[in-house]
Amino acid sequence: MKQHIALKQLRWLLALVVLTTSQLYSQTSGSLDSSILDRLNTLEQQVNYKKPGNDHFMMVGLTTFGFAASKNTNTLNGVGSTSKNNSFPDADNFEFSPMFLWRHGTKFLMEFEPSFNNNGLSVNWADISYFAAPNLIIRAGYLVLPFGTYAKREAAGWIDKLATDPMGIADMTPTDYGVEVEGGLPLGSMKLNYDVALSNGSQLLSDGTLTSGNVVDNNNNKTVTARIGWLPFSNSSLELGVSGMFGKVGDMGSPYANAVGNMYAFDLNYVKTFSPVLLNIKAQYNIQNITNENFINPNDTTQSYTFNNHTTAGFVQCSVRPTEANNFLKNFELAGRYTSYNLPGNSTFGTNQHTVTVGLDYWLSWRTVLKATYETYTGNSTASKVLGSYNGLTNTNTFYLQFSIQL
Amino acid sequence: MKQFLSIKKITIVLVAVFSMVAVLSINGCAPTKAVAAKSGAQLWAENCQRCHNTPSPASYSAEQWETIGMHMQTRALITDAERKKIVDFLKSGR
Repeated sequence: MKQHIALKQLRWLLALVVLTTSQLYSQTSGSLDSSILDRLNTLEQQVNYKKPGNDHFMMVGLTTFGFAASKNTNTLNGVGSTSKNNSFPDADNFEFSPMFLWRHGTKFLMEFEPSFNNNGLSVNWADISYFAAPNLIIRAGYLVLPFGTYAKREAAGWIDKLATDPMGIADMTPTDYGVEVEGGLPLGSMKLNYDVALSNGSQLLSDGTLTSGNVVDNNNNKTVTARIGWLPFSNSSLELGVSGMFGKVGDMGSPYANAVGNMYAFDLNYVKTFSPVLLNIKAQYNIQNITNENFINPNDTTQSYTFNNHTTAGFVQCSVRPTEANNFLKNFELAGRYTSYNLPGNSTFGTNQHTVTVGLDYWLSWRTVLKATYETYTGNSTASKVLGSYNGLTNTNTFYLQFSIQL
Repeated sequence: MKQFLSIKKITIVLVAVFSMVAVLSINGCAPTKAVAAKSGAQLWAENCQRCHNTPSPASYSAEQWETIGMHMQTRALITDAERKKIVDFLKSGR
């Protein structure tokens, strides 16, 4: 609107210049100099070129590249084995993801983010949003479901303070085909936000794990995922969220047809300056319950086995960055994180896992970071010994050097 | 059995939270005068850093800020009024 007013003003100004100039010349030579007319035409053309259209397309994106060196020790039945690895780039922490944004007026936005990483070429999300009314956005497509906040807001390499993702958190947040309704609401001096999605839902596999992102639904039931976020302080420094995801996960007509998955997540984000540092605390805790089913024994297909299909994942992360120092020191940020990821015992993949991660970042700009991260991992297998899946105790120490940028 | 009981409890708590939110939202979806009077610069400083460092206005063109503002609204779920003020600030600060 302001731009249109500015354009109008510019036109009036041009008209005034023409009028004044013509008056001047009529007094002197009686005709307008053609070079001035040419100049005015050029200016008018330039104004038209600058006039914004209804549509706008832009490409941004991010890339993360790094090096990792690790030492792994496994102890099984009293026998230990050690291995050392280094990788350039670290296969789990490399990503090249351009992001395409199309805007049609102020009502429609199309987003598409392909990604090249260790899994090859994939798609992070592809969706269209309709800004239907104030604080009401309707979107459809291939969506990151609103389960917690890490996967949707904090996972990008240039946002994450540490070189690794917290175990299990992003894995338990599916990207799926569906529709979504979301928005933020003012509430006095507080704020609320809501996000509800209806999607095809996850699929239960023959070992009791879940997969997602199927174009065709594996059953006729849709999964509901919803999150409510509450910002109790007027400065938006604290956000507390609660999420739920409910739906059938078994293939239609299979022995697991009635299997149901119920998932819950609780998240916290606190960002505030306590001079002389900026403090940032992030946390999320996920719970996944799938009804207990009988699965086929991989070693003897005439036999079946069952287990309590209960998974939890959680992390708490704290980072501090100086706010009152010289420009060099202000660019450093110190971060630490504890993560716990417990997979169901007596399954083929049961493990109690913990990581402690510390890192020092140097911010080259607001969206460009160099990270040095050290992570210690402990994994204690709780997998079934009967099924031959028990894997003993694993310790891994890894040092990461990582560069990440958003363009 | 215990697990299903706890699931029931959690479901009841979730339903209660969602109901409370719905009631609160219906009763008063309006900011206080102090919140409504916040400038774009203040909202930019408060909201962007919830997820990432505050962006420099010079990073993008005015048209690009409009598009990015819409994209960020779908992620951070800021209100319409906040998005408009922040985008105006970023456009004018270039």
